[in-house]
Amino acid sequence: MADVRLKGLSKTFNKRLAVDDLSLDIRHGEFFVLLGPTGAGKTTTLRLIAGLERPDKGSVSIGGRDVTHSEPAERDCAFVFQQYSLYPHLTVYDNLAFPLKSPLRRLSKEDIDVRVREVAETVHISHKLDSKATQLSGGEMQRVGIGRALVRRPNIYLMDEPLSSLDARLRSDLRLELKRIQQDTGATLLYVTHDQIEAMTMASRIGILENGRLVQCGTPREIYENPASVYVATRLGTPRINLLPAGVIPAGSEPTGTSVIGVRTEHVVLGDPSSSASKARIGKVERLGDQTFLHVDVEGHKLVLLADPHVALEADRAVGLSLRAPLFFAADGARIHAGQEARQ
Amino acid sequence: MTEASTTSRPGLVEQVIRRHPDPVSVRFRGLSDRTIAWLFISPTIVLLLAINLFPLLWTVYLSFTNYRANRPNAELRGMGTTYYEQILSDPDVWESMQATAHFVIATIAIETVLGFAIAYLIDRKFRGHAFWTTVILIPMMLPPAVVGNFWKFLYQPQNGLFNAIVAPVLGVSPGSFQMLGDVQLAPWSIIIVDVWMWTPYVVLICLAGLRSIPDYLYEAAEVDRASPLRQFWSVTLPMALPFIMLAVLFRGIENFKMFDLVNLLTSGGPGSTTEVASITLKRAAFESWRTGYASALAVILFVTVFGLANIYVKALNRVKQR
Repeated sequence: MADVRLKGLSKTFNKRLAVDDLSLDIRHGEFFVLLGPTGAGKTTTLRLIAGLERPDKGSVSIGGRDVTHSEPAERDCAFVFQQYSLYPHLTVYDNLAFPLKSPLRRLSKEDIDVRVREVAETVHISHKLDSKATQLSGGEMQRVGIGRALVRRPNIYLMDEPLSSLDARLRSDLRLELKRIQQDTGATLLYVTHDQIEAMTMASRIGILENGRLVQCGTPREIYENPASVYVATRLGTPRINLLPAGVIPAGSEPTGTSVIGVRTEHVVLGDPSSSASKARIGKVERLGDQTFLHVDVEGHKLVLLADPHVALEADRAVGLSLRAPLFFAADGARIHAGQEARQ
Repeated sequence: MTEASTTSRPGLVEQVIRRHPDPVSVRFRGLSDRTIAWLFISPTIVLLLAINLFPLLWTVYLSFTNYRANRPNAELRGMGTTYYEQILSDPDVWESMQATAHFVIATIAIETVLGFAIAYLIDRKFRGHAFWTTVILIPMMLPPAVVGNFWKFLYQPQNGLFNAIVAPVLGVSPGSFQMLGDVQLAPWSIIIVDVWMWTPYVVLICLAGLRSIPDYLYEAAEVDRASPLRQFWSVTLPMALPFIMLAVLFRGIENFKMFDLVNLLTSGGPGSTTEVASITLKRAAFESWRTGYASALAVILFVTVFGLANIYVKALNRVKQR
């Protein structure tokens, strides 16, 4: 069992709070993604779990064992770094074999060979086993980096934006690959990213970080449909959620205390100008091929909505617009559910 | 007809150039970029030719003549390869080459091990880090003449500091041995001074090498459960190796032609125990005034250093490519 439990974790760098009283339970076999912008404390959290940083306060336990003060080697985590942290003077084979040659795990040469070739197969790098690490392309290096983590079968895998420096196609390939590997091995995986697509496609659960604090935690669907705050709502969804001041468009059952209304495509019904709640005008139609973005002007505010690629709408046309169960937020950004009052 | 077409061609080219003028050649009318580039680097080239290449070629020329610098007006005779044959079959010259080799190998071995060890020790954060780094580098910043002279004082058997400190450790009286006067000790006395003076240089280069190793490699190794010793062997040393080899190259070339310290401390003595090749050369050139002979020796030394350095650089490049 390799569940991870963080309790009240805090870490300060140069008087700046990087991680602030963070508590989190990651269950065994979960693909957990920490999502947040640069500087939200994602990487620090990961490094605290790996033991590369020591917390100022709080505790880390892995598999029920308190490892707050243990060395990285004792924690049995594998770490995939954002930069390709391969040993440049070694071949791909030796890079993959490196963690296995630890004296802590007396493996025979044959066992190591079997494991290395198996993992090389998994990350599709078998053909480059004899190449030097420096002769690989970025994608290949990161695949070796991931392979070096996999080869050990550790308690948990920690990955720090492993795909961020790769090109788009490779990223989507490796995304699927990682998800598949995690499902096949049933490993516990903690993944850090600022990319919402990575979070949405791979995670069993997502944790949203804001300034070192965990602001919401749940399945991708829960977080998308039921964000706890404006901050969380703007993390997920393309195009980004539209934020309108309350009262611009009548939203029906607007709870008292609402100051901002969050509007996504699925909250909008476009119709005939005469029979709808608001009159709007199509500004621009952005056709991206597989999808179409509609820029809609309502009472001097602009909404960006997703439309069917075959939509017949054209720029500068008047349309009617009504809302269907949008998200309501109080002035401090907190979510207010319909039929509920803002907390004071 | 053909004449007309050839004369009209340059006109066309000029027209094109005039229409797309080059910024620099607009300001310096009539000069192409290439010409201007050559003008800029020509002073350096002329200087290099005058102070590097010309003396080299002139030395090669003199090595085939019986020229003597103290008798510039004497009749100049071609000697062919006589001097080269003399030098290569002279046991004294071979001995001085051996002395040089011993000196080079001993100093490089000690300086590299010591220099890397010191660099490894000071390549971490501790109080007064910058201060101690500077202190360590001081010997390297002193002029060799100063170093040679004060070590001569330190080495004095009766009242020198060196004997006063070393003698009690060995349990002998300070006056009982002479560092510079003893056949056995004289080579070591020079090696000690060279190590004292130039280890900091190796420290500096090794420090640059150690600083160039990214932290995340150590972190990766730590997560991969590599022990500190294994981290040293599999990360630190291989990553720093090209730098160490570079330090060895620089010290090797320098010490092959070591002259100043030896000349100041022992002038090749006692006897000829510390007579390295450069001392032999100086004696032939400026004591016996056999300029032709000395030139031939200089050419041989040059070819030796040049050849060894080239082989070494090839090896160095191979290490870097790994």
